[in-house]
Amino acid sequence: MHRLDARYKLLFTLAFVIAVVATPIGQWRVLGSLGLLLALLVGISGASVRSLVLRWAGFALVIGFLAVMVAPGLPARASHGLVTVILSIVVKNSLAFLMMLVLATVSSWLDLLQAMRRLGVPRVLVATLQFMERYIHVLGEELARMSQARRARSFQGGSILSWRLLTGMLGMLLLRSFERAERVHSAMLARGWDGTIHNLD
Amino acid sequence: MHIPDAVLDPRVAALTGVMGAAGLFYGLKSVEGRLKERTTSLMGMMSAFIFAAQMVNFPVGPGVSGHLLGGVLVAVMLGPWAGAVVIAAVLIVQCFLFGDGGLTALGANFVNMGLIGSVVGYAIYAPIRRWIGGHRGILIAAMIAAWFTVLLAAGACAAELSAAGSHRDFFRILSWMALVHAVIGLGEAIITGLVVRFILLTRPELIEQDPTWGLESPVPGSGPPRRWLATILGGLGVALAVVVFLSPLASELPDGLEFVGQRIGFLADESPSSPIPAPMPDYQLPLPSLEHVKAATAVAGLVGTLVVFAVSWGLARVFSGAGHRSERASADAA
Repeated sequence: MHRLDARYKLLFTLAFVIAVVATPIGQWRVLGSLGLLLALLVGISGASVRSLVLRWAGFALVIGFLAVMVAPGLPARASHGLVTVILSIVVKNSLAFLMMLVLATVSSWLDLLQAMRRLGVPRVLVATLQFMERYIHVLGEELARMSQARRARSFQGGSILSWRLLTGMLGMLLLRSFERAERVHSAMLARGWDGTIHNLD
Repeated sequence: MHIPDAVLDPRVAALTGVMGAAGLFYGLKSVEGRLKERTTSLMGMMSAFIFAAQMVNFPVGPGVSGHLLGGVLVAVMLGPWAGAVVIAAVLIVQCFLFGDGGLTALGANFVNMGLIGSVVGYAIYAPIRRWIGGHRGILIAAMIAAWFTVLLAAGACAAELSAAGSHRDFFRILSWMALVHAVIGLGEAIITGLVVRFILLTRPELIEQDPTWGLESPVPGSGPPRRWLATILGGLGVALAVVVFLSPLASELPDGLEFVGQRIGFLADESPSSPIPAPMPDYQLPLPSLEHVKAATAVAGLVGTLVVFAVSWGLARVFSGAGHRSERASADAA
């Protein structure tokens, strides 16, 4: 499954999520079969069930709250009852959420981006996303270094002071990102960058 | 504010998806037209910055923390459409790699946080900045725009969530959303203000040379109408944000109308009396009732607006003549 063409994986995920979302409330058989399909996929993909459940549990509270808030206003409430509506929303969301996690486990970000490009997503956007993913880690490490430096000066301030320190950190990171973008751009130009990413395929 | 899958009505998801895609295409075209081959590095790096910045948690109270959303911050630095593109990139990565925000809700999330967060935010920012002028204008305008965009996004979110229901649901959801987001908006305004202030004190040329950092090369002839457009959009945005706060109170109106209707008699059949009397007709959960929430929302809106004005004025004092000198003096002393 990891080796499968990412285009098929992406399209299948899209179709699966749309099918789940479009399933009318109270259609437990449809949702059940989609759930079985998902369980099958999880089994084949070799994704760790434990980590999937943990990630899901983190979101369950949020989606439960949203479902409780939205459900009373839905027209389906009259025919199915409030509990069914809330449960349907939670189950549908969980299926879609788990499918996205499975997609993320069985395909690398680069493969997904290439698949998006081949499926017609604008090149600039794909290139930007590729660039972004690369530098998320760089800037994250930079942020960690800055906060370590702050801690190394054993600084414990009050709430207002810590707001000023944290925004100072963000401002510094913003300036450094700007400068890094300039440097990287010069380096890219020096290597013949013309605005498009060329892949070896 | 990330809406997950399956909460939105499918029609709303489709509609906002089309709107979001159209907005993103326009934004990409506009940014690429100005930045040319620099688009990838600058947009990619700023997206990575916003993503990283959202991981910095600010202490709000015991056990509670908030973080920057960043739409207005990027718009102030790079211009409205660049801001929207950056937010789109952040949302796509969050959706695909972390499951944060639903795939079918991507359009709605982009409309709320990207188009409202950056483009409408900039439309609020630009006229206020021009009106006050100078560094003070930049700082105060950025904070006010940040505050109002969070409220507007909360209002749009409530509208999307309740689109399948009745108008009374809209007001119920709006009251809660607006109340929660008054706190979030206050945080957003103050964080945005402090970061902008930091940039203005260290590298002011990044913001001051041009509101859009050279992205919007002044095209002769296209100046005045665009300004009018920005002013109108900004005014509209502020007016809508005011409505977001006051409308929960105004939702009394339909109830009042029904009351009058029942009195007169033309709505008499609208309230079928159930054959079995409700077991506890006056029973209410010991939660704050909707009326309390509505009142609290309106109060929070008014107090929040005043606080944002006051804090932004205080922070901007650095850039007035006297403030500048005292800051310099303290810097010399240090």
